[in-house]
Amino acid sequence: MSAKITSYETAEIRGPKLAFNLTPENCGRMLMRSKRLLVVVGGDALKMKVADGVDVPEVAARLARNLGGTIVASPGVFKAFQSVSDVKLINMGLEDAVNRLKDESWKGFDGMGAYDMAVFIGGLYYFQSMMLSTLKHFAPNQKTISLDRFYHPNATFSLENLTPDKWKAGLDAMLQLLEAKK
Amino acid sequence: MATKISIKELDSQFAKIRGLDLVIGKVVEAGEEWSEPVGPTPYPDITALRGWDQRILARYPPFYSPLSDFCEFCTYGKCDLTAGKQGACGIDMEAHQGKWSLLTCVMGAACHATHAHHIVEYLIKKYGEDHPIDVGSEVDIEAPLIRLIAGIKPKKLGDLKEVLTYLDNQVTQLTSATATGQEQSPIDYESKALHAGMLDNLALEVADIAQVSALGLPKGNSDTPLVEIGMGAIDKSKPVILCVGHNVAPGSEVINYLEDKGTYGSVEVAGICCTAHDLTRYSKNAKIVGPISRQLMFVRSGIADILIIDQECVRADVVDEARSVGTRVIATSDQICAGLPDLTDKTPDEIVKALLTDTPAVLVRNPAKVGEVAARAAIEAAPQRKSEKGLKDEQVLANTSRCTLCRECTENCPINLDIGYAVNAAKKSNLEPLQKIFQECIGCGRCDEACPQSIPVLSTINAASTAKIKEEKFTIRVGRGPIRDTEIRNVGRPIVMGEIPGVIAFVGCSNYPGGNEDLAKMADEFAKRRYIVVTSGCAASDLARYRDENGQTLYEKYPGDFDAGCIVNTGSCVSNAHPIGAVIKIASIFAKRNLRGNFEEISDYILNRIGAVAIAWGSQHQKAMAIATGANRLGVPVILGPQGVKHRRAYLGRSEDNEKWMVLNARDGKKVYGGPAPEHLLYVAETIEETMVMAARLVMRPNDTPKGRMIKLSNYINLHKQLYGTMPDDVQRFVRAETDLPVTMKDDVIPVLKERGWKPIEIPDPTLLDRMVLRRE
Repeated sequence: MSAKITSYETAEIRGPKLAFNLTPENCGRMLMRSKRLLVVVGGDALKMKVADGVDVPEVAARLARNLGGTIVASPGVFKAFQSVSDVKLINMGLEDAVNRLKDESWKGFDGMGAYDMAVFIGGLYYFQSMMLSTLKHFAPNQKTISLDRFYHPNATFSLENLTPDKWKAGLDAMLQLLEAKK
Repeated sequence: MATKISIKELDSQFAKIRGLDLVIGKVVEAGEEWSEPVGPTPYPDITALRGWDQRILARYPPFYSPLSDFCEFCTYGKCDLTAGKQGACGIDMEAHQGKWSLLTCVMGAACHATHAHHIVEYLIKKYGEDHPIDVGSEVDIEAPLIRLIAGIKPKKLGDLKEVLTYLDNQVTQLTSATATGQEQSPIDYESKALHAGMLDNLALEVADIAQVSALGLPKGNSDTPLVEIGMGAIDKSKPVILCVGHNVAPGSEVINYLEDKGTYGSVEVAGICCTAHDLTRYSKNAKIVGPISRQLMFVRSGIADILIIDQECVRADVVDEARSVGTRVIATSDQICAGLPDLTDKTPDEIVKALLTDTPAVLVRNPAKVGEVAARAAIEAAPQRKSEKGLKDEQVLANTSRCTLCRECTENCPINLDIGYAVNAAKKSNLEPLQKIFQECIGCGRCDEACPQSIPVLSTINAASTAKIKEEKFTIRVGRGPIRDTEIRNVGRPIVMGEIPGVIAFVGCSNYPGGNEDLAKMADEFAKRRYIVVTSGCAASDLARYRDENGQTLYEKYPGDFDAGCIVNTGSCVSNAHPIGAVIKIASIFAKRNLRGNFEEISDYILNRIGAVAIAWGSQHQKAMAIATGANRLGVPVILGPQGVKHRRAYLGRSEDNEKWMVLNARDGKKVYGGPAPEHLLYVAETIEETMVMAARLVMRPNDTPKGRMIKLSNYINLHKQLYGTMPDDVQRFVRAETDLPVTMKDDVIPVLKERGWKPIEIPDPTLLDRMVLRRE
């Protein structure tokens, strides 16, 4: 048996360089290797709690907390992070954030150097796809992981298309793995 | 353009000449001379403004988001350009994206230039070359873009022909640059894209001032009538003629014919997209069905007896869709022949007969003939239209019973609406989710194509929303055309000084991420905050399709003046020339800057001093990108909604890069920090929250007076707190002195400034142009 990995949007057919499809647990293992993590939370994040039962701001905060990462939250969802105080938090639009990420000379939001991994979660599918495309083409050394429910071919690594239940369970398993290692 | 040779006195062996004036080129009649000196770039060629473009692109470099990894332009390809690879011709992804950017803008400019050609030629044929350009008694600067770019002052329709010739020439040259083996630098591609954008804006003005002058459209009056808009506003008991597209000529001829025959009141003439706006500008009895998102929905209803298509924004399947519900079609433009038989040379009797018998879709390239034929055929065809052709409730349920919840419809929806869930809910007799989808649907019909069970999804959405469609009846203020010079005199100073916080233009198509209400809520908020709100095209239609908590549409709620706290509908897509023209007029009327062939200086003025921003929340068409890019070259920033990311290019600044925000102080020639104002030229936002705060930030300009900056900062900080819950991270970049701070916010802001190491700076007389420095120390 073999499974065909397709992007979520039918016509989002990409070229030879496609995201490696990872399980949530393997995403967790990949993330544990990161020394400088940036978690990019998109503007659709709050809707995902209603539609899929996943509290994306909570997932992002746990990720950043466990891996010492920084969160950059799209302005439309920034308010949801107000109770998060123990993680470095930046309010910035995705296009602005990706414009910095693609710049090899950029030293990060804290001036301490480039991020070796950027996690994307909670974006409008088509918008996030294009942001990942920018990085794929113009910052080929910037590793990206999409933790969204749908496969993102333009990321370096991505989850496959999942049902809401499987997505929620997978993210929980991944976070538990990170928290256990910590 | 003309060269004049004057010989006062010549005494040679060949001839004795005295007082001879010889003009080579266009003959300028006595008294027609324009005393304003000609600036450096009348009729600029494709490299004339390259220096200006390089200046702005250095500050706002292109940011690309490739939609595909390949180049497919020549037979070397497909070439994979991923991550730095070059194609077989040597092009890399950055240059390839620059080429896309140019192509997009050239397509847009070509559309508007062709539109301008068609309408000007039609009007000249009808009214003559000498018909005067008259856009209103309070409008002395009748054509700010033509004056600025072409360096001429058009007085009659015939004068526009040389502008059209210039447009043809430039568009051809730009198109040539996109071919394989031509331009290769991304920045030069972008310079040419900016040129294409400027040409687009010029074409808009040519088209609109011609039709305002000759067709008697409103000439800048603020109190144009409120007319009906909405699918529910169409009186189905009458014969219905639907006009789709952008060129008002055929539709206006329908009205002329019906008026001549005294039957206008008994026939419904309505439109979709920009033709609709211009029909209501032509006659207040015409109606607007809605924006482009309502095209497929309404055509499928079968309510129209005759569908007239002209040019631009016409769906490629509209002829088949119309014919499938018994609607007769008349294509009218060289641009869209639609594979139809050309009956232009037949008599009206013959065409009507063909339409009603064996040829239900025809091409007729003569607007006057279209007017007669459409009117007569609609009257004859209407009795055959028994009822709407839309689905009935029981058919909805029958269709949805086939749904397997595969979600192909959802995965094909351009804005990711969960259609699959809604269709499946309908299967269980719950139509509410489908009705919610109707409110947000962009009407593209991709869900139909995707469904493996062949469920006509879009029609199902419509049928589930029958009651909502009947309620879809609103009012819109008729597009008023130009902004009056008298209005500019009133608001020029407060805009430049910053006391009116800004001009926000809601423009573009209806490709929204979640329905039109978001757009209306943004416009409402900015009007309440006393910005000048301007709108046009599909955005103007969508602003109408919303009622506030008191049941009022925005056009009922706000006056139509170009003033603080008002909402101005200028009209159709080509009426976008007027808000752009307004910022040019401010430079001329308030600041007394010469316009004639003086593009660079005026753009520099606008970029540094005039707080205008456009929001194209539903940008879809190449024309939208061309208009936006033209505005960018003039120094007006544009924010696109999330679908705009598929235009593939933004122009982004970096607020922390202080060197990029240095300006010359014209008073002494010193380089000083002007702040990231405006921070971006073209930005794609994900949410309305981001858009609103970004707009409040992008209206700031280095030249704001302390009082003006105080008002702008007050709105920016207030919106930031309201929507994000915090003080802006970058507030220190916008405070030049403590006098900039809103009094009521000082206690909050001053500690933040201290914490961030803020220091006061001088307010410059800002320019990016060395030649604008008045005196050097």
